[in-house]
Amino acid sequence: MPYRIFFALQRIVQLLVVIVGATFFVSLLLQLLPVGLEELYVFAIDEASRQAQIELLHLDANPVMFYLYWLWDFVRGDFGSYVYSTGILDPVAPRLGDALPVSLRIVVYVQIVALTASIPLGIFTAYRSGRRSDKAISYGLFTAASVPNFVFALVMAAFFGATLGWFPPLGYTPPGEDFLEHLRGMVLPVAALAIPTIASYTRLLRTDVIAAMREDYVTMAVSKGLSNTRILFTHVLRPSSVTLFTSAALNMGGLIGGSLVIEQIFSIPGMGSEIGLAIFSRQYFALQSYVAIVAVGFVIFNGIIDVVVGFVDPRARERTRA
Amino acid sequence: MRKFFSQMTLPSKLSAIWIAFVCSLALFGWLLPLPNPSEFDSDAPGVGLFSPGHLLGTDAGGYDLLSNIVNGARTSLMIAFISVGLGGVIGSALGIISAYRRGRLDYLVSTGFNMLLAIPNLVLGLALVAVLATSTDGAVQIPSSRRIIIIIFSLTVVIIPILGRIARGATLTWANREFVVAARSMGMRDRDIVVRHVVPNVLPAIYAVLFLAVGVVIVAEGALSLLGVGVIDGVSWGAMIARVAGEFTYAPQSMYVPVTVLALTVIAFNQLGDYLRGRLDLREGKI
Repeated sequence: MPYRIFFALQRIVQLLVVIVGATFFVSLLLQLLPVGLEELYVFAIDEASRQAQIELLHLDANPVMFYLYWLWDFVRGDFGSYVYSTGILDPVAPRLGDALPVSLRIVVYVQIVALTASIPLGIFTAYRSGRRSDKAISYGLFTAASVPNFVFALVMAAFFGATLGWFPPLGYTPPGEDFLEHLRGMVLPVAALAIPTIASYTRLLRTDVIAAMREDYVTMAVSKGLSNTRILFTHVLRPSSVTLFTSAALNMGGLIGGSLVIEQIFSIPGMGSEIGLAIFSRQYFALQSYVAIVAVGFVIFNGIIDVVVGFVDPRARERTRA
Repeated sequence: MRKFFSQMTLPSKLSAIWIAFVCSLALFGWLLPLPNPSEFDSDAPGVGLFSPGHLLGTDAGGYDLLSNIVNGARTSLMIAFISVGLGGVIGSALGIISAYRRGRLDYLVSTGFNMLLAIPNLVLGLALVAVLATSTDGAVQIPSSRRIIIIIFSLTVVIIPILGRIARGATLTWANREFVVAARSMGMRDRDIVVRHVVPNVLPAIYAVLFLAVGVVIVAEGALSLLGVGVIDGVSWGAMIARVAGEFTYAPQSMYVPVTVLALTVIAFNQLGDYLRGRLDLREGKI
């Protein structure tokens, strides 16, 4: 037991190092701006107010202190501000409060759709392996997994949205306003992100199930006369699900990036639109916090999945220890 | 080379042919008798496929799609090849050296990789391009050529940890093989061991991933354009797509054509990468 605590602590320290490193890197980016931050954000009529603004934004601090000031604010839930030429500060936190749930909702929908579709598909295609249709299926899946999601998004928005008019090609309805309309509007963006994801999860699960069915313990279970469903769930799916969930977690990064583009295409007011706006209006303090939030969320999520996988599959725990 | 090609599976053959075709368009496309990509034909705005003089039609502004595809191939493939090439060399070197040396250097390098990988790759590329491409004068955009260099640099940074981690992993499995240990015990210098014994064995794994990485970069370039920080003026595939992203009803071919070409190219690169990886697994399996 002390071992387990030790390794858990070690893992947490590792995650913290990565988080601090990544956010420091993002903070350093502001120093790389071809324009001075002072030039961008300090507009003052007299020297005194000028000094006050520089101090307020910590522009006089060295890169490390600048980062530490930012980190201290960030940890307390102050994500910086939009700084306007009038000297008005518009805090990022409320914007984030509006945008983040929208993006999370999309990503969660995609993962739910992708996992529920790919598990039966993966099992089905694995059972059919070796038949004539097998090659066609695996090439089809491979192709679908390779097509960039924005291609699906544009083609579907044009075809199902504009030409056929089945789904709104643009826009977002909050779920609180009209839940059915919300779902209708989510169909195309979620499908665009989900199709390549379904294809890659199915491929993964298919290979995994095929490999698992060749294992000795499955032969053993068959010869003991266990039912097919029992074998499928306890002996085949349990180890395969570990791979599936790990890759679903790793895929989170791709989905977050993908959802930025998809939001832009469907004009959905999520993180993608916020990041786009921040870049467009040269609000780099806001950009810094947005990127940091994405990175921190991604790292923590992967850490949690690591632990969960350890519970599901004791072998994985051994492997991380080794 | 011919033998290698004849052994390939049909989809890989098709992929190789498509990539060769697109690359030759990028290199020699300017020799073709096509309309100027940046000149619009006011007589034929938004004409469909196979119109006289415009094989793939024109977009709503009357720009010839085929010549823009050819022109865009040059930019898109250049961005992809240069950033994957640079990122591959730097990433592999870092990965191989740190995995061979182990110790503090290895810890530093792999933590660095993990830090960069903690930021989803599109977000990282986006942040880098956005920051570096800020123009000193808010009203004037930075010149197109400089923007391309910035995009290449940013995508190189994105590629380095991806390939670096793979090179590191591959090196770890080879660095303790018998022949490496034997070479070391015979007093061979570390540098020679790495060059003679480690690198040749690690390279095949990297080659396979290089193809996948080209696909990643082509997609990223398109995504950056759609997010509004990519190549401007429609001179890359991504920029072509971004230019027409909102127009579905008038001249839909102006969206379908670049999107299809981009998707086919990405599929082809992934297919070849996957094929190479499969062959590699076979070889490894025999040992």
